[in-house]
Amino acid sequence: MRRREFLILTGGLILTAGSAREALAQLPKITKKDTYRVGFAQTESNNPWRIAQTKSMQDEAKKRGWQLVYTDAAGSAAKQVADVNSMIAQKVDAIFLAPREEKPLIPAVMQAKRAGIPVILLDRSVDPSLAKAGEDYVTFIGSDFIEEGRRAGEWLVKTMNGKANIIELQGTTGSSPANDRRKGFADFIKDHAGMKIVASQSGDFARDKGRQVAETLLQANPTATAIYAHNDEMAIGAIAALEAAGKKPGTDVTIVSIDGTRDALQAIIDGKMGATVECSPFFGPIAFDTLVRFGGGETIPPKIINQDRFFDRANAKQFVAEAY
Amino acid sequence: MAEIAAPAPSPTRPKLALDGRAFLSRWGALLALVGLIAFNLAFTPNFATWQTLNVNLTQVCAIVIVGVGMTLVIATGGIDLSVGALMAIAGALAPLIFMGKLFPLPHPMVGVALAFVLPVLAAGALGWFNGWLVTRFRIQPIVATLVLFIAGRGIAQVMTNGNLQVFKAPEFQFIGLGRVFGIPFQAVLMVIVVAAAAWMLRRTLFGRQILAVGGNERAARLAGIPVGAVKRRAYLISGLLAGVAGLIVIARNSAADANLVGLGMELDAIAAVAVGGTLLTGGRATIVGTLVGALIIQLVRYTLLANGVPDAAALIVKAGIIVLAVWLQRQSHR
Repeated sequence: MRRREFLILTGGLILTAGSAREALAQLPKITKKDTYRVGFAQTESNNPWRIAQTKSMQDEAKKRGWQLVYTDAAGSAAKQVADVNSMIAQKVDAIFLAPREEKPLIPAVMQAKRAGIPVILLDRSVDPSLAKAGEDYVTFIGSDFIEEGRRAGEWLVKTMNGKANIIELQGTTGSSPANDRRKGFADFIKDHAGMKIVASQSGDFARDKGRQVAETLLQANPTATAIYAHNDEMAIGAIAALEAAGKKPGTDVTIVSIDGTRDALQAIIDGKMGATVECSPFFGPIAFDTLVRFGGGETIPPKIINQDRFFDRANAKQFVAEAY
Repeated sequence: MAEIAAPAPSPTRPKLALDGRAFLSRWGALLALVGLIAFNLAFTPNFATWQTLNVNLTQVCAIVIVGVGMTLVIATGGIDLSVGALMAIAGALAPLIFMGKLFPLPHPMVGVALAFVLPVLAAGALGWFNGWLVTRFRIQPIVATLVLFIAGRGIAQVMTNGNLQVFKAPEFQFIGLGRVFGIPFQAVLMVIVVAAAAWMLRRTLFGRQILAVGGNERAARLAGIPVGAVKRRAYLISGLLAGVAGLIVIARNSAADANLVGLGMELDAIAAVAVGGTLLTGGRATIVGTLVGALIIQLVRYTLLANGVPDAAALIVKAGIIVLAVWLQRQSHR
């Protein structure tokens, strides 16, 4: 793109975003119907969690007989903006958006608002200083990552009787789930003097990386008695690392993590893992319900937090079949 | 360190004046490795243990095996960016085969046997395809292998629908978890690959041809060396080895993730080759150097992690080592 074109284009974007703000302070409305035609702009589908989320949305649409326009931005914020624009052009009744990043998706939210199409954000939010719930978009539906970290910490304190040397496997550096899960956990255990984090490194939310980092950290910190992983994949990598080091996961080292995948539940049943906090990808029912309520004229709260379950030995067997 | 120079023309080879620098460029990598080990012995807790050796050997395996193939390709004056993607393809293919999702299996063991052979052959075929693009259409290697760098991972994702494949197959997982006399099988495999490649490069006609092609392609062609065939074979070997590395990674994790297997491996392998002292312009290669280079990269990562330095800093240190290695190379070959 030539420089001048680029300047005109970005200038145009800023202008449209600005004028949209002034023109409409009100949230777009939709008329009440039995079935809606809705768009779902997925951010990427390269991991089990995203795939489960997409499937949940598609299943729910099928169940209700709604038409779902599905796009996958393949990890590109720019493509996601274009995807939302094409949904606007197709005049869908409402858009479900799983925004990839906080700021780049603002233009998409604003353009939908200007076109009179309500937007509901799923699992990640947009920059609160640039777009407001109940004004620019209907609401945000998702999990509370800080709460997830807190619950993991709470379980570990109880299980270890307040005394543990903890290795923390963090998620992708700088991502909001990693930041919040660390904070929630750290805030809870800081009141318990016996709970010490002896090492904390990023395993990138991935099984292989989690395993390698756990191998190294276990070797350098042989006194570790617990592992807190920011997601199940890394926790399962840590189990492999423990087994390779000749330790018994679940007995020598207690593991707690977040997500609630099928593998993790199986590991809990096998006694290798202690517990996992659910971070539900099953957005379909609540997302569609929220839209129906909004269509019926109800006022929707600015945030809807998923009711996430907690899996440990007591209930893992019961839920393993329905996990993703 | 075994180092082999092609009979390439070097009109302005420096004489004795640069002796100290030449010494550094020849032995620098090994010195660095010794220095790293000494540092760890002094500062890293629990370093001098059998388990530490195990952890490092198993973690470095994939880089070394891929790096050996990369060394051969670079020795011909090329480069192979597709190795990580080929690992993903092999890694995605193997579970599909032994879980019987591609075709019905008469016996589980047949599936395991095929799961070793077919994915490696597939990766080899794609490696050969790289070589074909390079030689048949004279596409620059960095562009030709970029094709599969991009498409390869996509192929692996399409095969598995982007889903994580989880499995438990002890016979298959021997390649990643098994032990021979207490030594991890993958480390044994790594030593065999390194020894075979080093021998080949030194003692066989094909080895000499690789260096001749990389040193001066025109001269090699005029001397009657089948340049195209030699190059294609080098890319083929690189593909085969990437396939093997892919199998090791998934076997260790009991899971194949098409999105992550081998991600960034091409860069680790190139870094190992560069640090080891192989000339990135071709014509001079050292397999043992690549092994040392890979060990350095692995040990740097281990050292920083074990001492609580964040992973991001490890990347910067890694880059610093590469810059230093390339600078040393230039000192003695200008």
